[in-house]
Amino acid sequence: MNNWHRLVWNQRDALFAGLQVTVEVCFISFAFAVLGGLVLCLVRMYVRPLRPVATVLIEFFRATPILVQLLWVNYAWPELFGWPTTFYQAACTALALQSSGYLAETFRGGIEAIPRGQREAAFSVGMSPLLVFWRIILPQVLLSSAPAIVNQFTVIVKSSTLVSVITVQDLMFQSQKIVNIAYEPIEILTATAAMYIAFIYVVSMAGKLLADRLRRSYGIAVR
Amino acid sequence: MSDSLREILDLQLFWEFRTVLLRGLAVNFYVFAAAAVLALILGLGAALLRNSRFSPLRWLGALHVEVFRNAPDYVMVVWVHFVLPLLIGAVLHSRFEFDPFVSAMIALGFVYSGYFAETFRAGIEAIPAGHLEAARSLGMGEGLILRRIILPQVVRSMLPESINQFISLFKATTIVSLIAVPDLMYQVSMITQQQMRPLPLYTGAAITYFVIVLVAGSSLRVLADRWRAKILA
Repeated sequence: MNNWHRLVWNQRDALFAGLQVTVEVCFISFAFAVLGGLVLCLVRMYVRPLRPVATVLIEFFRATPILVQLLWVNYAWPELFGWPTTFYQAACTALALQSSGYLAETFRGGIEAIPRGQREAAFSVGMSPLLVFWRIILPQVLLSSAPAIVNQFTVIVKSSTLVSVITVQDLMFQSQKIVNIAYEPIEILTATAAMYIAFIYVVSMAGKLLADRLRRSYGIAVR
Repeated sequence: MSDSLREILDLQLFWEFRTVLLRGLAVNFYVFAAAAVLALILGLGAALLRNSRFSPLRWLGALHVEVFRNAPDYVMVVWVHFVLPLLIGAVLHSRFEFDPFVSAMIALGFVYSGYFAETFRAGIEAIPAGHLEAARSLGMGEGLILRRIILPQVVRSMLPESINQFISLFKATTIVSLIAVPDLMYQVSMITQQQMRPLPLYTGAAITYFVIVLVAGSSLRVLADRWRAKILA
């Protein structure tokens, strides 16, 4: 018990600083992933000349492992594009890219599930394509794919543990730093694993409740 | 820009080291195979526990699923490699160490057993109760029912879902490079440290994984669909 106090409780400031970075990275990447996924999906569905590009990008983001993408963005992109300039940016970019590919496919499924008649009806009452997307399509897609979107957020949290590899100071980074100073991994690594498991469990439960509630309040059957 | 673009298209450096890199890729497949076997066995066990008639066993199964489904793979790999041997050593009163390969297999096997357990459970629950009642009334034992009635149907119904999970498991095998299992990513980082040219090496690695996952994923899906169509027809 003494060890737990010395190695975990006394290090709580470092661990919470790490947890804060983890949460930040996850939310930034998630926001960009939703945006990127929406853009990729719309380009794939409606911009005919760019369709092959979007398809290849989506498949590439989905099929490459997150560690490979992370290192690729971190080491190859600065030479290619002169960006990202910090590890933090590289971490967020890689996490966002990976999830944007998955979310693009989720959104596409949602859009294709909307009956054609709704779009025709909206056009026939004189709504512009943008208005149709904003008022008719997007709300339904977001509702119907809410569980998949929430699930994608937990995937981001799991993948975010890898950003410690490129020295972003997240929870995993802080706990490994403590291990390297103290040479006593048992307590601190166990506590870190427990924190991650609890965090992801809470996030997925809260997200599921929220998604179900939203869907129920708009009259979509919840399994 | 044009220089680096030429460099990205010119993957010669990646090609030069092909023997080492191929050996690394083979390690990826070994880790994948070992972890997949462990994940399937543990997943089936957890799914059966969740359906058992004895409630503490049901809770145990649920705990297994919730813990491992919510555990990040990298954290589990690190924990199994650095903490588990110390705990086992403390019990055995002797020094104990895992080979990195064994740690990778255990960690990934346990994490993915959580996902497989849910897939198995969905497959088991989809079997009509009448099948089990009919089998029991014919006097079949529980083991025989599992082998002859439940598993054949579960395997068929869980095939599409489990292909996705096998693919994420294969993608997850890249993180074992971080505990020095000499897989493709490990070799790529080693060569990068010698050659100081990350661009062609990491791009080559990304393209390699992309092609493997895309080809393996789509051909497995086609095969599975055909097999299911043949059997269910």
